[in-house]
Amino acid sequence: MSDLGFDHEWRLGELLDNASLTRIGPDMAELLGGELAILDFDERLLWGALAPSARRQPVVLELEPIGFVAGEAVEPAALAAATRLLTALLRAELRFKMASTLHLEAVAEDFESLKREHARLLESEGRYRKLSEELEARVKAQVAVLEERQQMLYEAEKLASVGQLAAGMAHEINNPLGFIRSNLGTFKTYLGRLAEFGGRLAEGEAAWKALDLEFVLEDGEDLLTDTAKGIDRIARIVADLKSFSNIDRASEEFADINNCLRHAASIIETQLPPGINLKLDLLPLPGLVCLPGHLNQLFFSLMRNAVLAIQDAGRPGLVRVSSLADDDGIRIAIHDDGIGMTAEQRDKAFQPFYTTRPVGAGAGLGLATARNIVLAHSGRIDLDSTPDVGTTVSIFFPTPK
Amino acid sequence: MAEQENNSLTFKLVYYGPAQSGKTTNLLRLHDQLSPELKGELMTMETKDDRTLFFDLLPLGFRAPSGLLIKFRVFTVPGQVAHDGTRKAVLSRADGIVFVADSDRAQETNNGESFQSMSDNCHRVGLDFANLPLVVQFNKCDLPNAVPEAEIRERWSAAPWPLVFAVALNGQGVEATFEALLRAVFRHQAERLALATTHGLDEEAFVAGALGRP
Repeated sequence: MSDLGFDHEWRLGELLDNASLTRIGPDMAELLGGELAILDFDERLLWGALAPSARRQPVVLELEPIGFVAGEAVEPAALAAATRLLTALLRAELRFKMASTLHLEAVAEDFESLKREHARLLESEGRYRKLSEELEARVKAQVAVLEERQQMLYEAEKLASVGQLAAGMAHEINNPLGFIRSNLGTFKTYLGRLAEFGGRLAEGEAAWKALDLEFVLEDGEDLLTDTAKGIDRIARIVADLKSFSNIDRASEEFADINNCLRHAASIIETQLPPGINLKLDLLPLPGLVCLPGHLNQLFFSLMRNAVLAIQDAGRPGLVRVSSLADDDGIRIAIHDDGIGMTAEQRDKAFQPFYTTRPVGAGAGLGLATARNIVLAHSGRIDLDSTPDVGTTVSIFFPTPK
Repeated sequence: MAEQENNSLTFKLVYYGPAQSGKTTNLLRLHDQLSPELKGELMTMETKDDRTLFFDLLPLGFRAPSGLLIKFRVFTVPGQVAHDGTRKAVLSRADGIVFVADSDRAQETNNGESFQSMSDNCHRVGLDFANLPLVVQFNKCDLPNAVPEAEIRERWSAAPWPLVFAVALNGQGVEATFEALLRAVFRHQAERLALATTHGLDEEAFVAGALGRP
């Protein structure tokens, strides 16, 4: 397509190409019976042979000649008639050329419009995409903040439970420390008596008896045995604490869950109030890939809840912890015959920050954390409770088949 | 913009408007009524139901005292909404526009939409619509349900364009419309083209030459 618009002034040479001229020219020359030339608007020869003395007839489509027909030795009237015929032919050609060129321009223009529209849509799509990315980033940032806060709360809850644990442990360690110190004091006076006996060796057996060294020997041995037992007890408490304290650097281990239950129970047992007993009823379990530190914390907090529930009921009671394995997995139940829960309390029990205890006694994250730990092990945790009768927490861990 | 070449100057004038408002009829009447020094045949491209498919073209011309040939090529656009691409192509490079509105009250919406499309299309093809010579013709003003002239004048009182009321079918107002456009075009371009100084054409001579008045 030419760069010229449909509305430029078309010349004869543009309307008839060489092939057309070669078709039309000979016929016109034949009809006129002479020499014929067809010239463009600038008198350039397009077809035929131009004699110097040829008569020229202008071809006008609009206002000005767009070309000429030149004839040598032809009748002027015949030349004029031939020119009119050619003009009619050119007029039809002009209509076709203008219409087709305009059509192409219109199509190109429509295409340009579509491209503009497309570009606008792309731009607006881009804007929305950017907006959505921004929103996504903002949501992510908010979620990160929330997760960080939640993590801090869990840490606080953990610290609170560690604090309670530490208070109980301090008492437990102080107790043996007290009698170890007393035993060692007594043993020191016994050593003083032995030294005195050394100075009275001349008196012989009378001095042995007067100083009651028979008893000193016997009691001294008892004192040392007692002291060794006390130290063992402290060592065991420290070992239990250690197994608790590796929550933070927990890595997955293949472990026996009964050991986790025993660890938690041994710490609870040291803090049991009078009248409340803990009974373990554990059947052999298959090993499970788990985070033992987390499970220790889970069982400790559930057993502590059970003890508190009995305390709240204000009567003696029993916490029964049982475990068994079946084809599907490991089932653990922690049952107490304490105060129980109402339906409403049961519904909300796993919600974070829900607590029935006074402010300061806990953040209300015990069971929420417990559930998170169970879920992290692909397990299930359920509550069954009757007010004033008791509560059973059931946990299930699937074992790989 | 009209440019001078080979001792001739061509103005492209376009009749724009909604479908069947009478654009082609305007050209037919101009062809009958005007008798300038040069007048070509009217080229129409109507389909059999009298609708313009591509354009109509009426060539007119006269020679200025300086010998410069002044040519007018008067086009119409197809009015049907679907032919917007064609309208844009016809509109491009226009030196002046006649907007042919249909006075029929039922056609007011079509008039408004067509006028808006004209303004949009002018911007698209790079015409400065605010300064483009434009005449608004209200055609068919003899219709029984035509909007009265007073009401139209009131409504268009803030617009800068000349208003002409016409009945193109019987030729009324057709020449007046064209004359108003010629004057607007002359005022817009005469100075740049040095029509008066170099070519001896003032506004009256320009209009008289184009219309073929003595």
